[in-house]
Amino acid sequence: MIAFDDVTLSFGRRVLFDNVTLNLRGGRVIGITGANGAGKSTFLKLAGKILQPDSGSVTLPAYKTIAAVSPEMKIYDDLTATENLKFFSRLRGKALTAEKLFELGSRVGLDMKTFGDARAGTFSTGMRQRLKFAVLLSVDADIWLLDEPTANLDDDGREKIFSEVQAAKSGKIILLATNDKAEVEICDEVIRLPL
Amino acid sequence: MTKSFGSRCEQIAAIVRKDFLIGLRRRATFAAMMMFALTAVASLSLSTGGSFVEPKILSAMLWVVIFFAASAGISGTFDDEAQACTLPTLKLYAAAQAILFGKMAGVLLSLIALTTFILPIFLILFDVAVENFFLLTTTLLAGLVGLSAAGTLTAALTTSATVKGGLFPILLFPVTLPIFLPAIALTEAAFTGAAFEASALVVIAAFDAILILASSILYDYL
Repeated sequence: MIAFDDVTLSFGRRVLFDNVTLNLRGGRVIGITGANGAGKSTFLKLAGKILQPDSGSVTLPAYKTIAAVSPEMKIYDDLTATENLKFFSRLRGKALTAEKLFELGSRVGLDMKTFGDARAGTFSTGMRQRLKFAVLLSVDADIWLLDEPTANLDDDGREKIFSEVQAAKSGKIILLATNDKAEVEICDEVIRLPL
Repeated sequence: MTKSFGSRCEQIAAIVRKDFLIGLRRRATFAAMMMFALTAVASLSLSTGGSFVEPKILSAMLWVVIFFAASAGISGTFDDEAQACTLPTLKLYAAAQAILFGKMAGVLLSLIALTTFILPIFLILFDVAVENFFLLTTTLLAGLVGLSAAGTLTAALTTSATVKGGLFPILLFPVTLPIFLPAIALTEAAFTGAAFEASALVVIAAFDAILILASSILYDYL
């Protein structure tokens, strides 16, 4: 469970979160929606303790690991798809075998035989998004922070990501910030942030 | 504790390897450092016109070249990642201390490569016969360790600054001065073979330790 306790956060004069107290439980996909500027991405950053609140606290379960897919978090353009996957998994103490690499690629619809040795900088936006999701899958984190995870993906890519999110939710805390109707539909619970 | 230390070491090794790969592919940072050092040494050599230069001036010139060439390379240590939006990803997946020490180790390796490249050219162009090669190597290594520690922290500090190009050497110079002064004296002794004060090496080693420790403590607050 991620616990927000009396969390307040302002940007200049604008109070984005004012004494927010809530608990985010695992085992389901929690959607975070709201108009542009409502603070969906900021909410995810607070939940992942990437951003600290002005006052109050956010408590994460002990020894839980976080992974994220977000437009603000990019992968290395100068590394190949394989190198990116191996690098981020090594950071989390996981060694990827060739079989595991192909499996990860297949789960997100990225043909590692063809694209494994190509630099991420040569990929289309959609392929990069698939690679970012493969990185998230490779580290097997307990908490997923997904910020518009299927942006720029075709139907096949979206289906694959939705199916991975549904399959993973039982053992994880999954937060999904979005305004996309299809993404909202896979959420078990939705928190709408006021503007 | 052991598992945690082991995983930090694994993270550091992964970051060093990643930075090395990207450095090799981009080449811009290495090239900037090498070309700056080469141009500076060649200009100094031409301006002295083969006339005798005091060993103390020579050793100071060597360290000045290393300092400014290093500045050209180190300043982008974190900024390149911030510009590419990969720094938030790195911060999410790796421990802060592992990022700091990984970057520091990478900077040290690039400075060793820079010094290995420029030192023979410097010695040939200024016709310097090194009398105590062991002392020269030890001094350079100890000096580069301190420069890496201070440079990495300064690079992290100036990442969000708008005028980082000018700010970086200004912030770095006073921090590294306590290392450069004994290093220049020891380098002179290595050139001439004169007796040297071992305490100067201890001073450099002590400042290296202080800089590494201070970087480690301060980085968590950046």
